[in-house]
Amino acid sequence: MAVTEKTPPLTDEKLVELALDGDEEAFGLLVRRYQRRLTAFLSQLVGDLELARELSQEAFVRAWSALARFDPKYRFSTWLFRIAHNLGIDQLRRRRLKTVSLYRTDAEGAEVEVVVPDTEKDPLGHLENHALASELRQVIEELRPEYRELVLLRHFAGLSYQEIADFKEMPLGTVKNKLFRAHSVLRKALAEFL
Amino acid sequence: MAMDCHATQEMLTEIGGEIERLDQAAQHHLEVCPGCREVAAAEFALGRIFSEAIPPADPAIERSVLAHLGPARIRRRVVAFLPVAASLLVALLGAALVGGVPGGGMAAFLPGWSAQGWMALVTGASDWSVAVAAGARATAATLDPAMLAGAGLLSFLGLVAVAVTALRWRKVSPWRNDD
Repeated sequence: MAVTEKTPPLTDEKLVELALDGDEEAFGLLVRRYQRRLTAFLSQLVGDLELARELSQEAFVRAWSALARFDPKYRFSTWLFRIAHNLGIDQLRRRRLKTVSLYRTDAEGAEVEVVVPDTEKDPLGHLENHALASELRQVIEELRPEYRELVLLRHFAGLSYQEIADFKEMPLGTVKNKLFRAHSVLRKALAEFL
Repeated sequence: MAMDCHATQEMLTEIGGEIERLDQAAQHHLEVCPGCREVAAAEFALGRIFSEAIPPADPAIERSVLAHLGPARIRRRVVAFLPVAASLLVALLGAALVGGVPGGGMAAFLPGWSAQGWMALVTGASDWSVAVAAGARATAATLDPAMLAGAGLLSFLGLVAVAVTALRWRKVSPWRNDD
C-alpha cells in the first residue's frame, strides 16, 4: 500500500507500520507531520535554528534506522522527541567551545584546519515583534531548568501533558503542577504582550 | 474558593485558555471569578504567542531526510544482522568447546596442562584452522563433564538465538523493498 497525501490522515502507529514494511512515503508523512515541531523544539534547546534543522534531519534519519526497535506500546512522538533531545544534548556538550572546525585546501593543495566562530541563528528571528521575541527569549532562558524543559516540550514540541509525562517518566500530576507554575512565571514576565 | 481557582487555572493552562473546553463546573466558576477570567485571557494570548514562535516549516528537511533513507536502510539491515552473527558465534563457540570442530589431531599429543604441551600446540599449529581445531580438542580434553554440559547448552542456546534473531532480522529488513 503506497501512501499519498490524498490518503485520509493515518495515525502515527499505522504510518510506522507501513514504514517498517519499507514504505518511504509513509515515513515522509511522519517527517512532514513532525519536522516543524521538532525543529522548533531543537532550536530552543540548542539556541540555533540552522543547527536545529540539521539535528532534525539527523533525528529523522536515526529514527528511520532504528524504527525496527521502536516499541509500539509507546507513542511515536515521544520516541522521536527523545531521539532529538539526546541529539540536542550531545550537541550542547560539544558546542561548549563555541567554535566549529572546518577544513580548507591551502595554496599547496594540503588540507588545513581552520577554526571560525560559530554563527548562531536566532530561533525567534521570524517574529515581527522584536520586543516580544526578545522578552520571550529572555523569559525562557531564565526559567528554572525543570520548568524550561517542560515549556519547550509543551509549546515548541507540541506534546500533550500525557506525552510529556511519558517522555519525562514523570507523574501526570507533576507535569500539570510544574507547567502551571511555569505559566505563572510566563504570564507575569510577558504581561505587557498579553 | 481558592481551591476552585487553582483547579480552574490549572485546567486553563492545559487547554491554552480555550474556555469552551472547560467542564461545566469550571465554566460556572469562571462566571463568578474575575481572577480566573483574567488568567483565561492571558493563557489564550500566551498560546497564540507560542504558536507564532514556532519557525515556519522547511521543506528542505523532508527532501534531505528522504534522500538519506536508502543508505540508512542498508545500515539498518547490517546492524540488525549483528545479533544473528553474535548468536552464531555463541553457537560455534559452544560447539568448539564440546570438541566438535573437525580437523587437527594435536589434542592427542597434549600432555595435560603442562607448559610444554601448550607450547607444542602453539608452535605445532602451522595455520589458523589447525590451531582452532587443536585448541578446541585440547579444551574439550581438559573440561570436566559439568563444563562440557555447559558448553553443549551454550551451543544449543546459541542455535535457538540464531533462529530467533534471524526471524526478527527477516522482519526488520524486508527484502521486497530493495531497490
